[in-house]
Amino acid sequence: MSDYTAKIKEISARLLKEEKVEMVIGFRKGTVPMMNEPCFVKTPEDVKELVWDSNCGINLANYLTDRKEKIGIIAKGCDSRNIVTHIIENKVKREQLLIIGVPCKGMIDKNKITSMFENEINEVLEDEENIIVKGKVFEKTLNKNDVLQENCKICIHRNPVISDELAADLLDEQKDIDRYEDVRKIEAMATEDKWKYFEDLLSPCIRCYACRNACPLCYCPTCFVDESRPQWVGKSLDPTDTRTFHFLRAYHCAGRCTDCGACERACPMGIKVRMFTKKLEKDCLELYGWEAGLSLDERPPLDTYRPNDPEDFIK
Amino acid sequence: MKYINIDKKNWASGLENLYGNYRLFGPVKNNKHHVLKELGKGELPDLNYINTLLSPKSIVFPQSETMFEYSLDESKEDHHILKEINKDYSPRALIGIRPCDAASFLLVKRNFDTPEYKDPYWLSAYEATICIGLACSNPCSTCFCTSAGCGPFHEDGLDLLLVDEGENFIAKILTPRGENFIKSAGWKTEADHMAAKKTIKNMKMKAEEKIASFVSTDQLKNKSTIDLYGAPFWEKIAFACINCGTCTYGCPTCWCFDIQDEVSKSSGIRMRNWDSCMYPLFTLHGTGYNPRNTKVQRVRQRFMHKLKYYVDKYGDGIQCVGCGRCIRLCPVNIDIRRVCDIMNNYDSRSRLET
Amino acid sequence: MKDWEPRIVGFLCNWCTYGAADLAGISRMQYPPNVKAIRIPCTGRMSPKFILAAFMKGADGVWVSGCHPGDCHYLEGNYYARRKFALFKNLIEYMGIEPGRLHFSWISSAESTKFASTVKEVTSAVKALGPRKHGIKKAFTVNS
Repeated sequence: MSDYTAKIKEISARLLKEEKVEMVIGFRKGTVPMMNEPCFVKTPEDVKELVWDSNCGINLANYLTDRKEKIGIIAKGCDSRNIVTHIIENKVKREQLLIIGVPCKGMIDKNKITSMFENEINEVLEDEENIIVKGKVFEKTLNKNDVLQENCKICIHRNPVISDELAADLLDEQKDIDRYEDVRKIEAMATEDKWKYFEDLLSPCIRCYACRNACPLCYCPTCFVDESRPQWVGKSLDPTDTRTFHFLRAYHCAGRCTDCGACERACPMGIKVRMFTKKLEKDCLELYGWEAGLSLDERPPLDTYRPNDPEDFIK
Repeated sequence: MKYINIDKKNWASGLENLYGNYRLFGPVKNNKHHVLKELGKGELPDLNYINTLLSPKSIVFPQSETMFEYSLDESKEDHHILKEINKDYSPRALIGIRPCDAASFLLVKRNFDTPEYKDPYWLSAYEATICIGLACSNPCSTCFCTSAGCGPFHEDGLDLLLVDEGENFIAKILTPRGENFIKSAGWKTEADHMAAKKTIKNMKMKAEEKIASFVSTDQLKNKSTIDLYGAPFWEKIAFACINCGTCTYGCPTCWCFDIQDEVSKSSGIRMRNWDSCMYPLFTLHGTGYNPRNTKVQRVRQRFMHKLKYYVDKYGDGIQCVGCGRCIRLCPVNIDIRRVCDIMNNYDSRSRLET
Repeated sequence: MKDWEPRIVGFLCNWCTYGAADLAGISRMQYPPNVKAIRIPCTGRMSPKFILAAFMKGADGVWVSGCHPGDCHYLEGNYYARRKFALFKNLIEYMGIEPGRLHFSWISSAESTKFASTVKEVTSAVKALGPRKHGIKKAFTVNS
């Protein structure tokens, strides 16, 4: 990972020095284990702040929305797909961007690793294949592949889909991945069990909206949860309201979600909020052959149609 | 000051005695975290924990709280009249609350209990609550209580302090309410005063030595509010923020709320819900104008409130007890320790950058 | 429960199904009175929020009906709607609402017979499921 960081610094410094960009958006080292903080740098001297490792799970496309500067942005596979989505939705212009692509080897799951240990984790180091977890009285080496974020495990677009520079050689994409095993499991449940499943899933929700706000797709000036005439969703912790919020949040991402996992990573309560968006992602693929953010030239599925779209559900 | 020795063998039976006299709340581990919940009969709190995921403020200040109900049905005699809702303000005990969290109630009390205004809901709930603290012998790396006016063995806000000695707890009685609680539980064995005092003193020292992170707050009061407000560092601090409410909802000292009516057919309720300065809606005016329309403004407000306005208004330190929850929960790793130090060290003349 | 009658919210396109309802009325066709019709300008105007709001407020079933593909007054509104509905219906069933509670149809303004028969079909499907068990927003949440 240190070669990644070095290369990112080198490219960023060059772009800033040659004044090709006004800022570079990337990550700096976090203050707690397994966390990095999104940041920007504006001078070649400041690029020393930038880092790259397995804790860069936040989707940086989220920080491009409506910006007007010339921007260099570090983009892993999913970030790049969301940048594509941002460009086709006119939230940023392609000409504004110099995309520093990072072929991504996956991000580690902070919640999962934390829950594996009784005691506090003080430091987490990594090499190519291993994650070394250190506490006051213990040290353990984990295989990185075992502790990847769920969405990274099943990722089939690890390489950036658009980029102007690359921080490393492209990787082989994962093949023969079953992306929707968990969704199918729920689909196969009886109606009552489905209801129960999501009731349990959402019961810890505190309506902080971290899932919504971590998502690059959620940029409406006024979110439906904040609309008051009519008020679509109540503001209390009523489970019906909470469910409606999650339903609509997911539905608004239909055909746009890249399964970057930012929502799930952001949730302070550890709720698997991807269980909603993944269903839509699966349906978009099955019904319309669509995967979000792969091309600048195709319209997203809900912004287009075919005369012979499936309609067996319509009388 | 009295000290009682509670043999852990008598712990469960004591709680059994208390059940019924108090509503008991304590930390319980769900599949992932420790959460604070009301304990059923025979249910024991899990005191082998660092701290609860969220703060205990919801016990006194629920995230959603119904205040009134009313009817819009004009055939009813009392239509269009707000009626108070009956609530259970019988005694409740927070068992195993950490000293930082108990201290937070005192900070919040400044807001809800003033000579001018007294918040009846918060005060009634607070007065009904007795805090049975559990001293922190193994503080975690994000705890910075000792430099936030608090500490792992801090006693302010507690009625009773439990110190875990392995086989037994030493209970230090801090208030008459704490004494009643002990009596009600039937724990009678008095501990040797001098020995208990000494043990606690030693353990306290050891625990405080383990605190590894600090904030510097000494200069905050002397800084000019305008200088801090207009400082250039806010853009950088706020950049990563996604404006979710995690920090404020997790914080034991954040007290902001919003009042809402909900009507269904002809009956309605008026409730209050936690609100957060991170949300644009928090300051949105009826005209559509929003004085804090940008992320930078909102992030600045959060930190200025906690670390400057509060300091100036009450003259008793920062509005923070150093529990570290906002650091642990923030999805993008915005760290109040870092911000506090930047503010404290800021010199508008030299324009020290972050 | 024998006497129970479902309440169904029908979102009907102004240019077709709403007309079909009129025609069915003028032609004195018999059909169950359970559907409360709400006129919308086009199925393309349907927001998922409308359906969710109906369910939250206690509707036992929701039915959305518009023009046949190719016949949209605005040329393509129903084509877009069709994609939205497909994803919506799948998602709401995935989350535990019975399939028989949400219905879609294409009924032109001339198809009064199809209108009457669809109302019958929708009503009996919803009736067979009985009252909703979940997801209705309650008025009061008292806590202490």
